[in-house]
Amino acid sequence: MSQAMSDNELWVLSFYRTSEISGSLFFGRLARSMRPGPLQRDMTKHFADESQHAWYWTRCIETMGGRAHKMADAYQDQYFEAAGMPVNYMEVLAITHVFERRVINQYAQHLSVPGGHPAVKQTLKTIMKDEKWHIQWVRDALLEMEGEYGKDHVRATLERFQKADQEVYRKTMKEQEERANDLFRRQAERL
Amino acid sequence: MDRSAIKARMCRLLKLPEARVPDDARLTDIVPDSFMLVETFIELQEEFSLRLTQQDLMGVQTVGELLQLFQDRLRPAAQPVAR
Repeated sequence: MSQAMSDNELWVLSFYRTSEISGSLFFGRLARSMRPGPLQRDMTKHFADESQHAWYWTRCIETMGGRAHKMADAYQDQYFEAAGMPVNYMEVLAITHVFERRVINQYAQHLSVPGGHPAVKQTLKTIMKDEKWHIQWVRDALLEMEGEYGKDHVRATLERFQKADQEVYRKTMKEQEERANDLFRRQAERL
Repeated sequence: MDRSAIKARMCRLLKLPEARVPDDARLTDIVPDSFMLVETFIELQEEFSLRLTQQDLMGVQTVGELLQLFQDRLRPAAQPVAR
């Protein structure tokens, strides 16, 4: 592995990669069970994007001279524990909306740290473009579903998942604080 | 709706023989991961044209409880008695 890449950096990038793989598999399976229509069309693109993002992270890690770690859990796994499992498409999209916003915020925060490797910066920028579309199509689909599920129910579901997201993020950040701080300190030192 | 039809569909989705899925089996013991459990819930609703929420499934832990929930929801509303 090149000297430019620390163990913590490799861990964080591998974590991103695993989350993208998990998202892709989940949406892929759901898309398969859906009736053909706009929801299936957009979910199909969504899982293709997530799969490609995992490939981008793999390529990025290899460009930096590393090899991705195999990780047991993805960020999403903790969501179900904190918020309960979604059991219909509206709940799946609500949890996805909250999750995608978290991902884009995390990626933006990572991008804002000075001194990052050019391959990481490029990968973050490329993925963030797709993530913006993910948030948009999911939000539009949820608005569409207000007719079927009720506006108040959709909003209450989003609020419930947002609370869970904050809990998961606090927990994850506590666990990863040391790695993230080390990564950001090293990047700053490269300047 | 026949309970055995719901169970048969569930077992097909999970690729498990029905004999290995007793009513008292915990869902988390027979389904390998939570993503698959979500997929199973959604596919069953699609199959039987039902709409359930997280609230409906709260407290459902076993195969039998899930089958009962589906059966209850699929039961036709009682018809008024003709006078």
